[in-house]
Amino acid sequence: MERRDFNKMLLACGALAAFGVSPAPRALAQHRDGGLTAILQPEPPILNLALNQQTPTGVVGGKIFESLLSYDFDLQPMPQLAESWEISEDGKTYTFRLVKNAKWHDGEPFTAADVVFSCANLLMEVHPRARANFDRCESIKARDDHTVVFTLKEPFAPFILAFEASSAPILPKHLYEGQDYRNSPYNNKPVGTGPFKFSEWVRGSHIHLTAFPDYYQEGKPHLTEIYYRIVPDAASRAVAMETGEAQLAQWMDIETFDVERLAALDHLTMTTKGYELFSPVLWIEINNRREPMNDKRFRQALMHLTDKKFVAERIMFGLAKPATGPIASTTRFFESDVKQYELSVEKATALLDEIGLKPDSDGKRITLRFAVAPYGEMWVRTAEYFRQAVAPAGIEVILDSYDIGGWASAISNWDFDLTTNMLYQYGDPALGVARTYISSNIRKGVMFSNTSGYSNPDIDRLFDEAAVETSDARRQELYSEAQRILVEDAPLLWLTEQRYPTIYDARIENLITTSTGVNGNFAAARYAE
Amino acid sequence: MKDVVKTFLGRPTGIAGLLLLAISCLMAVSAPILYPASPWEMSGIPFSAPGENGMLLGTDTLGRDIASGVMHGARVSLLIGIVSTLAALFVGVLLGCVAGYAGGTVDTVIVRFTEIFQTIPSFVLAILFVAILSPSLGTIIVAIALVSWPPLARLARAQVMSVTQREFVQAARCQGQSPLSVMFRHVLPNAISPIIVTGSLTVASAILIEAALSFMGLGDPNHMSWGYMIGAGRTVIRQAWWMSFFPGIAILVTVVAINLVGEALNDALNPRISRS
Amino acid sequence: MEILLRIGFRIAGIVLTIFLIAVINFTLVNAAPGDPAAVMAGQSGAADETFLKQIRAEYGLDKPWPVQLGTYLLKVAQFDLGYSFRQRQEVSDLILERLGPTLVLTLSAFFLSLIGGVFFGALAGRRHGKWSDVAISMVALLLYATPVFWLGLMLVLVFSIQFEWLPAFGYVDIRASGFSAWNYALDVARHLILPAVTLSAIYMAVYTRLMRSSLIEVSQEDHVKTARAKGVAEGAILRRHMLRNAALPVVTMAGMQVGALIGGAVVVETVFSWPGLGRLTFDAVTQRDYPVLLGLFLVMSILVIAVNLLTDLIYRLVDPRIATQ
Repeated sequence: MERRDFNKMLLACGALAAFGVSPAPRALAQHRDGGLTAILQPEPPILNLALNQQTPTGVVGGKIFESLLSYDFDLQPMPQLAESWEISEDGKTYTFRLVKNAKWHDGEPFTAADVVFSCANLLMEVHPRARANFDRCESIKARDDHTVVFTLKEPFAPFILAFEASSAPILPKHLYEGQDYRNSPYNNKPVGTGPFKFSEWVRGSHIHLTAFPDYYQEGKPHLTEIYYRIVPDAASRAVAMETGEAQLAQWMDIETFDVERLAALDHLTMTTKGYELFSPVLWIEINNRREPMNDKRFRQALMHLTDKKFVAERIMFGLAKPATGPIASTTRFFESDVKQYELSVEKATALLDEIGLKPDSDGKRITLRFAVAPYGEMWVRTAEYFRQAVAPAGIEVILDSYDIGGWASAISNWDFDLTTNMLYQYGDPALGVARTYISSNIRKGVMFSNTSGYSNPDIDRLFDEAAVETSDARRQELYSEAQRILVEDAPLLWLTEQRYPTIYDARIENLITTSTGVNGNFAAARYAE
Repeated sequence: MKDVVKTFLGRPTGIAGLLLLAISCLMAVSAPILYPASPWEMSGIPFSAPGENGMLLGTDTLGRDIASGVMHGARVSLLIGIVSTLAALFVGVLLGCVAGYAGGTVDTVIVRFTEIFQTIPSFVLAILFVAILSPSLGTIIVAIALVSWPPLARLARAQVMSVTQREFVQAARCQGQSPLSVMFRHVLPNAISPIIVTGSLTVASAILIEAALSFMGLGDPNHMSWGYMIGAGRTVIRQAWWMSFFPGIAILVTVVAINLVGEALNDALNPRISRS
Repeated sequence: MEILLRIGFRIAGIVLTIFLIAVINFTLVNAAPGDPAAVMAGQSGAADETFLKQIRAEYGLDKPWPVQLGTYLLKVAQFDLGYSFRQRQEVSDLILERLGPTLVLTLSAFFLSLIGGVFFGALAGRRHGKWSDVAISMVALLLYATPVFWLGLMLVLVFSIQFEWLPAFGYVDIRASGFSAWNYALDVARHLILPAVTLSAIYMAVYTRLMRSSLIEVSQEDHVKTARAKGVAEGAILRRHMLRNAALPVVTMAGMQVGALIGGAVVVETVFSWPGLGRLTFDAVTQRDYPVLLGLFLVMSILVIAVNLLTDLIYRLVDPRIATQ
């Protein structure tokens, strides 16, 4: 190296140091022009809602793709691609009249053929939850270009809830028919009917959507574009909201303890509405097959030891409500009149004594292993809390860390003592609750089935009857009865009903208008004048 | 031996290192006495700042005592640091001795193998290993040993090779002593001091690797560790700097201490190559 | 001829290394618990046996693992790194997308640490025993012992949260697609400062210490003493006789640290949301994305080999003795 080179090196070094301390302009990205930058985490694997229903896919895909209906905060159906609909007296025929001026993002007209193709062919092959719903149909037919008729084999009251964008996304027949659905080139540049069309996806960075000028609702959407920016680090997400670099954060984007602080900022506002269709309940799953957890009294003892309020307030920082039973209070047919478990170590130890689980010289009665679900801090903290909560009764809990694959494999193959789990309820017990408790859904190797192994013929009968019953009053009776039995049996330890915060720029209005909130299409969202 | 101690104690940095290290060890030893309750116990009010609500170093998001965590964390850090280094020493010195003493093809094979291990980005390998076998004290120790032995093996090999060339070793070999006996009676005692020094520095890097693993959520969930505390406190850093600050200081102090001691040890044991 | 032979050996060695790494990685990853099909199914929200079977058949997961290994090695030989069923993308594409940011970060950190280390080491070595030497050595000692993620957090606390001088995360501003090339580069540079400083700190400390002791050693050498006796100015001696020789062990060391540097990038990229290979690695580990993991390890190891070759070249440039051979 020549002397000059070395001098240059030193110069460069000095320049860099100087650069490092010069104040950089603070990032200001408020979209005066009516665009929106939102946070997205984690990065979705794909944007095709038919192939993937993870949360981030739903958030972005919900702007591009639509279904026949959307649902208000009380889970009542509202028009989307269907402008009106009727259900026959016997509860077996559903007729939808479709909007007439809708177009696909490539300019082709949207017709009933697209709906029939999506529901009867594409979704049946690739979308397990949609398959479960449309399997109930004897036929799905287009009466004319703008009318679709679904005929059910037997009545199924929650069928009307099956037409939400991520439950039954409508895809373009002209692009997918006859193709390999999973490897279609359109999966990575999706074409839908939604108010926003796909523009660009830079992996690891952002997804860009722009307003679709030919959207079928006059004057909508108001927003000109949406950037979904992928920000894997929680602290960075909070900073982005704080500085105004992003104007929208949803689901679990913002860590619970940051929510209050951000919500208090002048330029931001916060709501927990818009998650009613999902209404997830978090529980501690107990393997009902293993000693001593197969004894109802042992599970009841755990109920007496767990302080749900602590979990809701300290771990979820108030963004949760203590759960009283299997059905969330925001889901249909919730029953509040169920057995209450008082927080009491004495009651718990009395039950344990009754079973014959005696403490050894160290005061320890039994050791259980807890499979910690790998979904983030909240889940780890919950496990850590539970370990301390049951210790006073002589129950030792050892935590085992898993990756997602290892955890799913252990739980679905019933190789666990305890774990945490959480499922969406999709508005109706028949759609999102029964699956966790009925014996017919005990299926080894399948995740989100009845993995705890609880089996009770009464419960099976109640859930079966309620699913095909068409009278809401009768359904309520059946579900109330089921809830009372389940809370008494305590097959799982229900902890909290999750509340998710949607934090957004205070100038935006009409952002959250349905029970799917941020997964909705944002057609009405706009900046206040 | 006396000279070694004398040289060591003659270095102020060595003494400073010893003192700091003593603090870390004292924390590890006295943790169960000063803080008999589990460091996971949610005994305080969440988000208490240092000094608030009778909490010396404050509490974390669940109300767990940071001071208790820092004390108990010393146990895990030191344990993992020392045990994984011993394991790495065992593998490294064994392979190094065999390679250096045997020479020839055996040597080539071992050197090649060692080089491959040095080529793999070691921290990434550690992450992969722990994630695959699920995090526990055991897997973390094995993972750290797995990525720590190659430099020790190379050093041991070089030392053994140079010592083996010396006359007294050649003489012992000619007398027909068994290779094992030559190795243990003549070669190792004369080759060991740089290995001890490097080994002591390996403890420091092992502690840093463990902290990084725990930070990324790959720590043993049943043992409070410093890396875990920083990882858990990281997201609330703007509301509660103390949650990640104090454990970080604990790591810093311990690693500095070990490095200082290692350097002083180097000066004392290897006066030949010590700095002026 | 001899040179050709030497190059041949070198290439053979590299190929062997890559082959062995591929085998090790594959065996290790396949020892993992967990059924990748279940992971996939779990992500779709619900699953049944037919769906699982479908996935297994689709991705060849139902074949015995030696067959999978054989297929994998064959593909690697053709530079085909497989398909990520998690991301539904070619692994090579995924890696290529992330390669740029990682190269920018690791190369900046590499040169920053090298330049900083040589500069501060030379400064300390020249002022051997003076207060500036003591100060530099102390800082180097502390940096050497600082956990890299903690340092990153503290820098964010000071420079992003307290003073709001630098962005706390990301690679480039979201609106950068509309920037001119120059502004784009400036914006990346601004985002790069904290991660690069964080990643380079520990190595800068190592090289500073090494450069310092190396310079002190060189200053005792005969040709330096001779020059001094001849009355050559001290600055000229430093530049002509000492720096280059003293920097040699630093360059060697830097080449050896590349693997560690890439490992450090995993942590730094996680702290700073830097969209590179390190982040991809951690995501792939937690998501059990086998093909991506296998590809990443291979690519990272090849990167290390490549940089090692590069440092060899630099070494030859810097060291006149080797160059003239």
